Amino acid sequence: MQLSRDIPFPAILLALLLATGASLLAAAAFAPGPRGVAIAMLSLTKAALVVLGFMRLHRESPTLATALIGYAALLCMLTGIKIALVG
Amino acid sequence: MNVALRSRSLDDARPAPEPEGGMELLLWILVWSEFIIFGALLGAFLIMGVIDPSALAVLHRALDLPLAGIATATLLTSGCFATRATFGHNPRPNLVAAAMGGFAFCALKIVSFGYELPTLAAMDGRLPELYWLITGFHLAHVLFVGALLLVVAWRPAPRQVATVATVWHLVDLIWLLILPVIYLG
Repeated sequence: MQLSRDIPFPAILLALLLATGASLLAAAAFAPGPRGVAIAMLSLTKAALVVLGFMRLHRESPTLATALIGYAALLCMLTGIKIALVG
Repeated sequence: MNVALRSRSLDDARPAPEPEGGMELLLWILVWSEFIIFGALLGAFLIMGVIDPSALAVLHRALDLPLAGIATATLLTSGCFATRATFGHNPRPNLVAAAMGGFAFCALKIVSFGYELPTLAAMDGRLPELYWLITGFHLAHVLFVGALLLVVAWRPAPRQVATVATVWHLVDLIWLLILPVIYLG
């Protein structure tokens, strides 16, 4: 949870933009199974980057940061399962 | 003993320190209530997509994915400006830049609504209604909090900057959950 302490904001923004581009690419190019996994993982990465990198909430409250990321993980997992099973 | 009593009475006369936790608690109640509302709406969208895959396919054909990607990049960039303001880097220009990013996001969404409207208006069922509800509700949040960023930028106090930036990141986070559920799913 302390990883982002010294990462500069432009690097976090770049990672977020790359993850966004990668998820758009995955949506257009992958079959449903890998697409679901890729989109879920990339979306969760982006949510975690915002909470840990931009909000830096883990410095003030690791519990709140974990809860926010956990909630995002639940929604991302459901989305990934739906995409993988239904398309 | 007199000195001690006098000192205690002076202490009593001072105004009580402002409770730091009260506002913060309200902020987090707001954040979680927004998350729960959007989570329920996105959950309903996921279920409706499973129940009616043909309507979801029609909806996906109407959506402009590259435009959604550009809107996402715009919103994330504005979030970076809000973060810079929170950490004391020129709060006023950074808050204004964050607000402008938010308004640019709104403009992009309105343009995409223009493309999507003919197809979605012709569709039956709950899926297009949910789409309008979720994206429209989020758009209203971006507009409102963007205006709040400008109000705080007028006289940026560190605590207010941190509060409005937290709400702005909440708006970012919600969009990051809307994107996979509605656009990429």
